[in-house]
Amino acid sequence: MIALTSPYIWYTSRISGVISLVMLTLVIVLGILISTRVGGRRVGRFEITEMHRSISLIAMIFVAIHVVTTVIDTYVNIHWITAVVPMTSSYKRVPVAIGTVAIDLMLAVWLSSQLKERIDPRAWRAIHFSSYASFVAAAIHSYLVGTDERSLWGLIVLGSCVAVVLLATVWRIMGRPERAVGRTALSPLEQSRGR
Amino acid sequence: MRRTVTFRIVVDPIRCDGFGHCAELAPELVSLDEWGYPILQAEAFPQSDHELHRSAQLAVRGCPRQALTLQKIIAAQS
Repeated sequence: MIALTSPYIWYTSRISGVISLVMLTLVIVLGILISTRVGGRRVGRFEITEMHRSISLIAMIFVAIHVVTTVIDTYVNIHWITAVVPMTSSYKRVPVAIGTVAIDLMLAVWLSSQLKERIDPRAWRAIHFSSYASFVAAAIHSYLVGTDERSLWGLIVLGSCVAVVLLATVWRIMGRPERAVGRTALSPLEQSRGR
Repeated sequence: MRRTVTFRIVVDPIRCDGFGHCAELAPELVSLDEWGYPILQAEAFPQSDHELHRSAQLAVRGCPRQALTLQKIIAAQS
């Protein structure tokens, strides 16, 4: 079990947590770009949707790395169950639980998207909105337990992520009326008009 | 008796939210009206047209609201 006492697992846990937050920010912003119908001139809208999907998968992988390294590391004693059941950690119970809540919401969003063709679209949409809650929980978790959030660069990363998501969300709400202007430049009609 | 198989895509107008992905993925089959909702090519395309079939599949799979379906039409010819 020598490997498990290696500080590198702890370092991996810390940095993968930070990367997870950045990835979640990216996924949320891409999701907002989809709902506001951005794209169609230089980048296809379907490409933004594809990026949203694939980057969400990368984000989940980083979250998985964060969880696995946190659990197997011996620096803090956190059990596997804590990855999905909140308030089971003896180390920093509430801050860790908030991270667990973020993961649970993420899993709900991911699972509902996997079952998208089978469930009611309104249910999918309602569940999908909890990705905002998941991000908020992840940001709070990051601030409360993040070892690196005490340093300047950590605070800068966290602050930028929160600011970007906040701005994008406000823009999504404010930009609502423009949403219906839907023709994309890739469509033949618009192309012929452009000539 | 011979059977002819053709395909066309149909849209569920209630599910459609005007994302416009279909027109980007299958421009041969879908154009958009000025509000961004799809106008689908009415006539079906033959099974032998693999390129159109591929485009149609991409559009159906790429719809973020699952509003499109690829319809297989089997017509009997005497």
